[in-house]
Amino acid sequence: MASTSINTPGGAMAKRPLHFFYLCDCSGSMSENGKIQALNQAVRDSIPFMIAEADGQPGVDLLVRVVKFSDRAEWHIGSPTSVESFVWNDLQPEGTTLMGAAIRMVADQLKMPPMEQRALPPVIVLITDGQPTDDAASAVDELLSRPWGKKAIRIAIAIGNDADEDILRKFIGNKELEARCLLQAQNADQLVALIKWASTAVIKAASAPPSTPVGASAANINVPTPPNPSNGNTDDVF
Amino acid sequence: MNQLFKSGASVRGSTSGSNYAVKDFIGGGGQGEVYGVNASSGDFALKWYHPETSTSEQAEKIDTLSRMAPPSTRFLWPLERATSPDSAGFGYVMDLRPREYKGLTDLLNGRMDPTFYALCTACIGLADSMHLLHSKGLCYQDINWGNVFFHPGTGNILICDNDNVCVNGSTATVLGTPRFMAPEIVRGEAQPSTDTDRFSLAVLLFMMLFRSHPLDGKKESLIHCLDQQAMKKLYGSDALFIFHPTDSSNAPVAGIHDNAIAYWPIYPAAVKKLFEKTFTDGIRDPKNGRVLESQWRQALSHMRDSVFRCSTCKRENFYDPATPGAVCWHCRKVLSPPLRIDINGLCQVAINYDTKLYPHHLSGLRSRYDFTVPLAEISQHPQNPSIWGLKNLSQAAWISRTTEGAENQVPPGRSAILKNGLKIVFGGGTNGVIIWE
Repeated sequence: MASTSINTPGGAMAKRPLHFFYLCDCSGSMSENGKIQALNQAVRDSIPFMIAEADGQPGVDLLVRVVKFSDRAEWHIGSPTSVESFVWNDLQPEGTTLMGAAIRMVADQLKMPPMEQRALPPVIVLITDGQPTDDAASAVDELLSRPWGKKAIRIAIAIGNDADEDILRKFIGNKELEARCLLQAQNADQLVALIKWASTAVIKAASAPPSTPVGASAANINVPTPPNPSNGNTDDVF
Repeated sequence: MNQLFKSGASVRGSTSGSNYAVKDFIGGGGQGEVYGVNASSGDFALKWYHPETSTSEQAEKIDTLSRMAPPSTRFLWPLERATSPDSAGFGYVMDLRPREYKGLTDLLNGRMDPTFYALCTACIGLADSMHLLHSKGLCYQDINWGNVFFHPGTGNILICDNDNVCVNGSTATVLGTPRFMAPEIVRGEAQPSTDTDRFSLAVLLFMMLFRSHPLDGKKESLIHCLDQQAMKKLYGSDALFIFHPTDSSNAPVAGIHDNAIAYWPIYPAAVKKLFEKTFTDGIRDPKNGRVLESQWRQALSHMRDSVFRCSTCKRENFYDPATPGAVCWHCRKVLSPPLRIDINGLCQVAINYDTKLYPHHLSGLRSRYDFTVPLAEISQHPQNPSIWGLKNLSQAAWISRTTEGAENQVPPGRSAILKNGLKIVFGGGTNGVIIWE
């Protein structure tokens, strides 16, 4: 590593990449009740907090990618992007829900290579409001068949009441973790809180679990407690 | 976004009854959020707990801590608990961290380039602070890189997040932070105590000086996914020092752990011995194997005393009599030994243009490590700046003796001109000899 110091010989401490994936549902139903606007705003607002979180973890190189899915799944941000350079361009809703294709794109990226020899557990955040229109179950199987997919911290945020909870449960892949990893946003405030949590507390848990309350150590669970959904403004219902 | 308080909200101090107006959001953590607040008595910081951490035990702890005097001014100590008419739960008020103090994470991210002298000062401050905290029978529980702030120019430090501090031996409320927790906690065999604080302190000192982790070597390089399970082995069951004196199976790997490799040859042997002890004996024997804070303070003070500049490239190096012929880390030229003062044969202080001597140098080892009031400093002759002297800043006269036998009084405010072999009698049995070779 090249030295960045003048006064002493060393540079920044050695880092491991932490790959963070957003999988965002852009199907037509996301245009209802301001859901896509809330998602766009929530992710954009979370970026400074995400940068601060990465900054507080000197051994972490936080790299962000985004897949959007509707009639097709495609990279919204395709190359691993340093969180300092992460810029959010609004998603537009249209069409169906090819969630399986999106999960497969991430599964492909978790092969070695392109995954590095040394990394931190990836974080995959799946945000959806509906039912997949393709074979998402086999895509989840493919994801979980990859060692890095299995090691990934997988968070599912269901917007409203119409998301396919069965497939989201399969995506989480661990009954014990469902209460922490399968989350529901009933309004914009809750979505903001959950996205902020997923892009900060979960990143911290992936790189170095926060100070552990005594008594919580027995469970080998790498996911912090999510924010309480009842904190939101219930006037603004999806 | 979704912060617990908006600007303009108000909280009330439970002891003083003062109102604190929320000004701005400073940051969030696992336990709560921190805000800048203003009261009639000035600006402060407010930490407000998340609902899940607003327990009655935590409230009681804040009340207990706020009744105690802080171990030193380096601690941003809880001043009083605060409550709000509009929000459930509670928080506490503490002094605000001045903006010029930066997180240690800036150092480890390579965004700060302090001198070795400032780094040593920070390490001494940290060891001294933990010594003072432990001397009060308290335990910090969660020493890590997020709790210490550092002034890059002076090396002064501030310690925050003191709300986890508890009486040593009482039930712990946190286990600590991964990479800093003692191996016996990682293995689930112990709870935080002053013994485990000593391990975490040594990890943080190592990270400050080496910008590397003392257990991250070959074993870490072979781990694909550094998850919780892998960390439990690396920092718990299989913990092995990267510079273990007899077992090189976890040596640092070039291309990954370059900082550890670069810094290890530079530091004096005495400090490296302490790291060896803590990370070898101290892994097996938490009680007796770990270096005490006072030992760190002494060794790190000696290390800071040995800082001098290479005569060729002017970079700071450490003078170590145990390694004659050492080369400068930067220009690789052999280092000429610095002008220095030997004090009672116990320590040698390299003399730079800004060197000062403190009570622990001149009044014996039992003196406080108090860097606020120097007893001597390097000075220049007012008429001839090429003549350097040691100025008496104490209250009593010294006596200087040249090698030719000339003896002079050095009253307070006057300086003894530095010459090779000059002996200075400071009083109280402390003598210094100037060495210039």
